[in-house]
Amino acid sequence: MILISLAIGVTWVFGTVLAMLDGRRTYVGLLALGAMGTSLVSGVLLGVRVLQEGTVEFVAGGWPLGLGIALRADVLGVTFAVLSCGVVFVSLLYEVILGIRSRTFPALVLFLNTGLVGIFLTGDMFNFYVFFEIAMTAAYVLTAYREHDYQVRAAFIFAIVNLLGSVIFVIAVAALYHVTGTLDMALAAERVTEAGINPTIVIAVAIFVAFGLKLGLFPFHFWLPAVYVGSHASVAAILSGALANIGSYGLLRFGGYILPEQLAFGAPVLLVLGSASIVYGAHQAVARRSPVEVMAYSAIGQAGYILIAIAIAGPIGFAAGVLYAVVNSLNKTLVFLATGLRGWMVGAAFAIAAFSIAGVPPAVGFLGKLALFRAALSLDSLAGTVTLVALIFLGGALSFVYSFQIYQSVYLKPSPEEGKPSPLAARLLVVVLAALLVGLGLYPEPLLYVSERAGALVAGGP
Amino acid sequence: MTFIISLAVSIVFGAGAYLVLQRNLIRVVIGVILISNAANLFIVAAGIMRGRPPIYPLPEGQVVSDPLVQAMALTAIVIGSSVAALLLALSYRLYTSHSTIDIEDISRAEAEDAEALDRGEPIRRRRRGGGA
Amino acid sequence: MRPPAGDGKPLGPENGLTTDVPGGVPEGQTSVMTRAVSRLLLMPTIATAAAILVKGYVEPGDGFSAGVVAALGILMQYLAFGREQAERMLPLRGLGYMAFFGLLLTLVVAFRGPVVGQTLMTQWPLPGDAVIHVGTLEVITAVAFDVGIFLLVLGYGTGVISLIARVVGRAERRSKEENHRDPDEAYGEDMG
Repeated sequence: MILISLAIGVTWVFGTVLAMLDGRRTYVGLLALGAMGTSLVSGVLLGVRVLQEGTVEFVAGGWPLGLGIALRADVLGVTFAVLSCGVVFVSLLYEVILGIRSRTFPALVLFLNTGLVGIFLTGDMFNFYVFFEIAMTAAYVLTAYREHDYQVRAAFIFAIVNLLGSVIFVIAVAALYHVTGTLDMALAAERVTEAGINPTIVIAVAIFVAFGLKLGLFPFHFWLPAVYVGSHASVAAILSGALANIGSYGLLRFGGYILPEQLAFGAPVLLVLGSASIVYGAHQAVARRSPVEVMAYSAIGQAGYILIAIAIAGPIGFAAGVLYAVVNSLNKTLVFLATGLRGWMVGAAFAIAAFSIAGVPPAVGFLGKLALFRAALSLDSLAGTVTLVALIFLGGALSFVYSFQIYQSVYLKPSPEEGKPSPLAARLLVVVLAALLVGLGLYPEPLLYVSERAGALVAGGP
Repeated sequence: MTFIISLAVSIVFGAGAYLVLQRNLIRVVIGVILISNAANLFIVAAGIMRGRPPIYPLPEGQVVSDPLVQAMALTAIVIGSSVAALLLALSYRLYTSHSTIDIEDISRAEAEDAEALDRGEPIRRRRRGGGA
Repeated sequence: MRPPAGDGKPLGPENGLTTDVPGGVPEGQTSVMTRAVSRLLLMPTIATAAAILVKGYVEPGDGFSAGVVAALGILMQYLAFGREQAERMLPLRGLGYMAFFGLLLTLVVAFRGPVVGQTLMTQWPLPGDAVIHVGTLEVITAVAFDVGIFLLVLGYGTGVISLIARVVGRAERRSKEENHRDPDEAYGEDMG
């Protein structure tokens, strides 16, 4: 209990205090880092405890379950909480090393972390929405960080599009409340089967649209390139590495855990949309030149893989979805952080991330692709398996092409206007991250174990 | 009752959707505000039933209306108001840098920047507030 | 600021979007009546807000609605007198910071529970325990929580409006003087 409270609360309290101070001062950045570190450590400790002893939960204010707001840390939630917290921590560290240029940046990052961890550790649907809005509002402002014109434009687009997504989500929550009479996720999952498929399929569609928008899936992807290209490197890392997790987590939690029948019903549609995402994202990425733009389109394709894994469903499919979401988030963080730097070690780090995205061993991206293969093989229909395997091969080949293209054009070609290299500490940070990617690829057991447990939890819902 | 509320939700949502598709930034913001208020109405409608106000002490043996949706709607209103403030601030910031609140002009500037980026030139800074 | 190009709709004092003319709203924009009434209504509004806050423990009312009422009372002063004059008459500078102190207070109350081994948001003293009385007011953490919410809403409501008024007003003035300042520096002073 103290761990859940710490993971959410520390950054909230510090964010409030730091909002009154000037974030450009070094000590403010260090305080923010301390708070983030505390949050991360409590998240990790909580994760160890959840893995050993099972789900930790309590209801705020000591109310009986169903009356009060439940906070629930299960394997799925804790995995995403630790992951997002880690990504935010690394991005904040990166920005502190390079020098924060805005007085509100540290406070906003802390609020964003509060929202993210809250989302993943709450057991209440409306509370999910509230934390979701805390995280999103901080993200809207962060997108405009540095305040260049194109960044403010990106923030405006991001805010408008995602607000519409939030509205659709809150309508879905209200409808679920109307159908089940509860806001608690576990109780709703039990009761929703009684409501039948007819009223709930509409809710499921609304939830899919809301999270698909967040994840940047194919028909809802239009905002994503402008925002990722516009925002500053560390902010882009936070957006694609931490905030996009809300989309995958939401699809797993609401689709897999609360509405499994509706998910099975809509699986063909999800498979088609996921495939379209992969093909569209890879195709657009190959056609672009600037590394950030390539990676932004690549994010659309990667979201497609996660959707396909979720559509396959079952313990294997959900486990693949969790694993792919984790791997993708790490890849994207490293890629976007590396594009903001110059210097000789950065090229190597970028190459590792790019080939991890393409799924080349020994980088961790290979694991994600492997899990997807396993999931595709578990499908009943032979035609489906063959199509999916072919698709994954095609997507992998295309991502190899665009990864190699940008590596060649940016890091192999000697550029005449080479500026002075970035601070050594920042470069070391991306190198450490790259080493982590390779390390996890070489020793994948912990990651596989966690994703299997999380997949079983989602599938074994009610 | 349900019919009237659903009609109200659809009208407010429709008006908001119409405004979001306009060229004027302020209208877009107002449209978003309207849409989020349609959602608030929907939340209230999700728990609607005829009954006494749920104020302690509860009346014996009578139906009490659901207080939870009111709390949810209140929370959503607060979130909506803070986001509206943020959107207005953002559109003001766009106005100071582009001297227009017409979304077409702003996207033209966007396209120019994108072309400059493709040619490998640094992005041109506008007259005011063009970066820190 | 150069005149708006194309059919971009201008935002500016001419269509009443700015209340921030140096020295307050010019005569004629608000009548003597408006000014006098809003002045007279300030204290009753604050008193009503305090009453809503306190009676929230037996009747409908809480920190949130009290904060909204108080913020509206203060915003009325802004409307009637303009930001600068209102801030000269009343100690309003720094009211925006109240939002942070309020949030901090509520967070401290909410997270007190886990620190002493109870669940989140547990009230102190626990229901049924002896309560310290100040007159007829019971001193419980729920009161502190509500005061925190009150400050948060009050600070947010007034802070956001005065912040936007100040930024818009400064831009207007600056466009008159045509001297350029570093925008980051300008935003830096705006809190509170």
